[in-house]
Amino acid sequence: MSDVLSLGRSPKIVQDRILLGVAIFIASESVFFLAIVLAYVAYRDAGLATARANLDFARTAVFSVALFASSATMAFATGTRSGRWLAATIALGAIFLIGQGSEYARLLSEGIGPGSALFGTTFFTLTGLHGLHVLAGLVALAALFSANRRRAAAVRPVAWEAVALYWHFVDAVWVVVFTVVYIGTLL
Amino acid sequence: MTAVPLWVRRPAGERVGWLRTVDHKAIGVLYIGMGVAFFAIGGLEALLLRAQLATPEASLVDPEVFNQAFTVHGVTMILLAVVPLLVGFANYLVPLMIGAPDVAFPRLNALSFWLSLVGGIVLYFSFLAGGAPNTGWFSYAPLSERAFAPGTGVDYYILGLAVNGAGTIIGAINLAVTILLMRCPGMAISRVPLFVWMTLVTSVLILGAYPALTAALVMLFVDRQLGGHFFDPAGGGQAILWQHLFWFFGHPEVYIMVLPAMGMISEVIPVFSRKPIFGYAFVAGSSVAIAFLSFGVWAHHMFAVGLGETENAIFSATSMLIAIPTGVKIFNWIATMIGGRLRMTTAMLFAVGFIAMFVIGGLSGVSLAVVPIDLAVTDSYYVVAHLHYVLFGGTMFGIFAGAYYWFPKMTGRLLSETLGRWHFWATFAGFNLTFLPQHWLGAVGMPRRVFTYAASTGWGPLNLISTIGAAILLVAMFIFFVNLVRSLRSGAIAGDDPWDAFTLEWSTTSPPPPENFASIPAVKSRRPLWDRKHPEARDTG
Amino acid sequence: MRPPAEAIGTLSLIVGVIALLIFIGVEGALVYAVWRYRASRHVAGEAATFEQNRRLEIAWTAAPALILAVVFVLTLGAMAEINGAGVAPAMRITATGHQWWWEFSYSGVKTANELHIPIDTPVELEVTSVDVIHSFWVPELGPKMDLLPGKTNRLRLFVHRAGSYDGQCAEFCGVEHAWMRIRVVAETQTEFDHWLSGQGLPTPAQGNAGERVFLSNICVSCHTIRGTAAVGTAGPDLTHVGARAMIGAGALANDTARMRAWLADPQRYKPGSLMPRVPLSDADLDALAAYLVSLK
Repeated sequence: MSDVLSLGRSPKIVQDRILLGVAIFIASESVFFLAIVLAYVAYRDAGLATARANLDFARTAVFSVALFASSATMAFATGTRSGRWLAATIALGAIFLIGQGSEYARLLSEGIGPGSALFGTTFFTLTGLHGLHVLAGLVALAALFSANRRRAAAVRPVAWEAVALYWHFVDAVWVVVFTVVYIGTLL
Repeated sequence: MTAVPLWVRRPAGERVGWLRTVDHKAIGVLYIGMGVAFFAIGGLEALLLRAQLATPEASLVDPEVFNQAFTVHGVTMILLAVVPLLVGFANYLVPLMIGAPDVAFPRLNALSFWLSLVGGIVLYFSFLAGGAPNTGWFSYAPLSERAFAPGTGVDYYILGLAVNGAGTIIGAINLAVTILLMRCPGMAISRVPLFVWMTLVTSVLILGAYPALTAALVMLFVDRQLGGHFFDPAGGGQAILWQHLFWFFGHPEVYIMVLPAMGMISEVIPVFSRKPIFGYAFVAGSSVAIAFLSFGVWAHHMFAVGLGETENAIFSATSMLIAIPTGVKIFNWIATMIGGRLRMTTAMLFAVGFIAMFVIGGLSGVSLAVVPIDLAVTDSYYVVAHLHYVLFGGTMFGIFAGAYYWFPKMTGRLLSETLGRWHFWATFAGFNLTFLPQHWLGAVGMPRRVFTYAASTGWGPLNLISTIGAAILLVAMFIFFVNLVRSLRSGAIAGDDPWDAFTLEWSTTSPPPPENFASIPAVKSRRPLWDRKHPEARDTG
Repeated sequence: MRPPAEAIGTLSLIVGVIALLIFIGVEGALVYAVWRYRASRHVAGEAATFEQNRRLEIAWTAAPALILAVVFVLTLGAMAEINGAGVAPAMRITATGHQWWWEFSYSGVKTANELHIPIDTPVELEVTSVDVIHSFWVPELGPKMDLLPGKTNRLRLFVHRAGSYDGQCAEFCGVEHAWMRIRVVAETQTEFDHWLSGQGLPTPAQGNAGERVFLSNICVSCHTIRGTAAVGTAGPDLTHVGARAMIGAGALANDTARMRAWLADPQRYKPGSLMPRVPLSDADLDALAAYLVSLK
């Protein structure tokens, strides 16, 4: 494999096949999320009353900040090849997932689930699919973290770049989901 | 697993089994093998359908079996036969055509193939698990909801298509990156063979279209398994959402299946006309136009669902527009032949057959963009006829052209031209006999997907002709099968360049070595091999 | 006002002729190229080398665009026409799709599988479904329209010529999709009025054996016979079933012998149909069949 040989510099998407592959994958994933978001929007009116009455905007906003912050820590981690910033990213991502889990637990205890009504169907599908992507991102981060700890020199720069690209994407999807689902209840 | 003996020229000691191979050529052959196997299965399913429909009010199979058979026939032919065949050729040929040693991600390539295959096996496992899906290949909700399809068939459909689709998406990423980043020196994107161009455009289509299908499948899964209401009108959902998502995938899927075949005949026609392709830029550019437009035509499958006058008018216009770049291609192929010295080999026969049949499918396609005509004939046998003229008369003829053209590169042996001619003419006759009468059947009122029809309708004779045509197609496919087996064992030795061709894959051995080329080639035009053979009349492009 | 079928017919003819001319032109050019330039015809000489002609490319891009523009304008005109062209409907009928039969309602007067309409009268068919998607299609009347659950679509019907027109469901709707046939009976206004007022009447109690069999079995949980205690709605309204030409949405012609055979085992004629086989004695079957066929 002859990726662009990097002498400490970051590879570019237009030259590196792994980064380009990840970028194309993300573009394709965007279409997937777009379809799910559009379904949510199409059914928004039917579920708006339930959403307003039951979604915990403030709490989720706090957990969302954790996820948004993790993009910043990831940028630092990539820039400096820092295991510590990577660990911070993982921790923030995990906090977000815990927050989402607690929101789920509360909604389910109130009788709102994917099968209860249209709101539950669209809410759990959209946020659940995003959650699964966060989880996948955490696995990638953990793999990078452990590889970096075992032998930092063997980790190619493109690995950092590729994982970061995917993590930023997961973050960006949440910006859309949070806007549509949570900020949407305020409108 | 036995080692890979053929398809890749590799010293005995270094051979790896089919299960572990990551060589793009071996994976290409695996894909083609998968496509051939499922094409045979899907063909037998079609014969069952045709046998039942040969006479009115027949009871050869019961309606439940018939409904499973046409559902699985559609899914099989589209996702498990045609797409793997095309991806297989792309896998084998793209690196060779652009002078690369392999694809960008060889191991991911193997993953793509195995996911595609496992998806197909999951779908077919449904037969053992209580019944195959019986809701049609586009599985309209709410018929596909648990309330109306309580068996597990649709669940296997969801899982099978999702896994198969994941493989196809990963494969598209791989091919796109390969084409964008791994071209040999001098191989500008404006010089790549048209098959490579079409593969790149097809990859983009896959990446934009398949995720919509995956999203629809996820929603159907939520509905069926978690009690969701996406497509459940009783719970506030809309049946029509499924159709929007499905056809946003489904219509680009048509071009995913047609463009690579167009790429194949764009290689075959110039070589056997002894001329460069006419209007390379227009052939390539029209593909981009088709790809772009194909994401804006999906609702022409939905003119009868009551979207509204304005929506129908818009989608009618976009659907008509897409005929323009398609027509451009046909004119360019014919112009390529004009002034040439045509060698009417089997490959060329199938390529010409592609044009002849695709014109019919294209014209009937335009008629379906005309809303009032569509409202009369949609969901009838007219549509069945139309889609088979595009996908069989078009795509499969293209694939056969490609098979006769590249078989010698893949195996080192030529397919028999004598059997090839029989194969072509039997296919041509059988195909037209099967599908031409279906235009009339649809126009006079025979809906698609009926397991039988009343004798009083008078549809019997044309149906019988159609079934006879299908039987001839069976004979044609048998001839092809015999040709494949015999030529593999004792076909004439091909040599590196049996067709006096133009592109890089013919500059290496047949079959090529693991690394494809002894040294990475450098090119200066669109026809590097022509240049090498005719230094006095080099291309300037 | 023209019947929609005529508007579609005219448009199809125009598009068909254009398509035929293009077909002849393109296939002709193809055949000519193969015949004229086949290598076996040329013992000597090299192939030409031209590979592009910008003007030609633009011409054969623009020509189809012009033809399609004309077709599109014709399309818009025909679309307006088949939707009624601004003419208000003189009557509305509701069609409801069921797996696998049709319910037609004339302001509450219900019948099944046989749609009566007056000739020379613009009729609006309001279509919907109670289960899956169906599609109303009677080819000789022109366009089809899907019946979707949770949505009402409108289809304009307009017929000049009296007579009966057959059609069937065009959207795959499950196991018995093939036997979900429609018969449209177009008749003069007088005949239609007579028919409709007859349909509106309940069935007088007959007190015969067949009626007793009907009312004392599970028939009543799905079927209605107005004038009796039977008020089920899952199956077709049978108040005037004897007057309909077919049984089982086209599965059998309607006479006493076939009615008896159908009642004895509906699954034999329409496997998968939601009508179960009800175990009845021979005498009960005879009586029930005679009773139902008598409901004119």
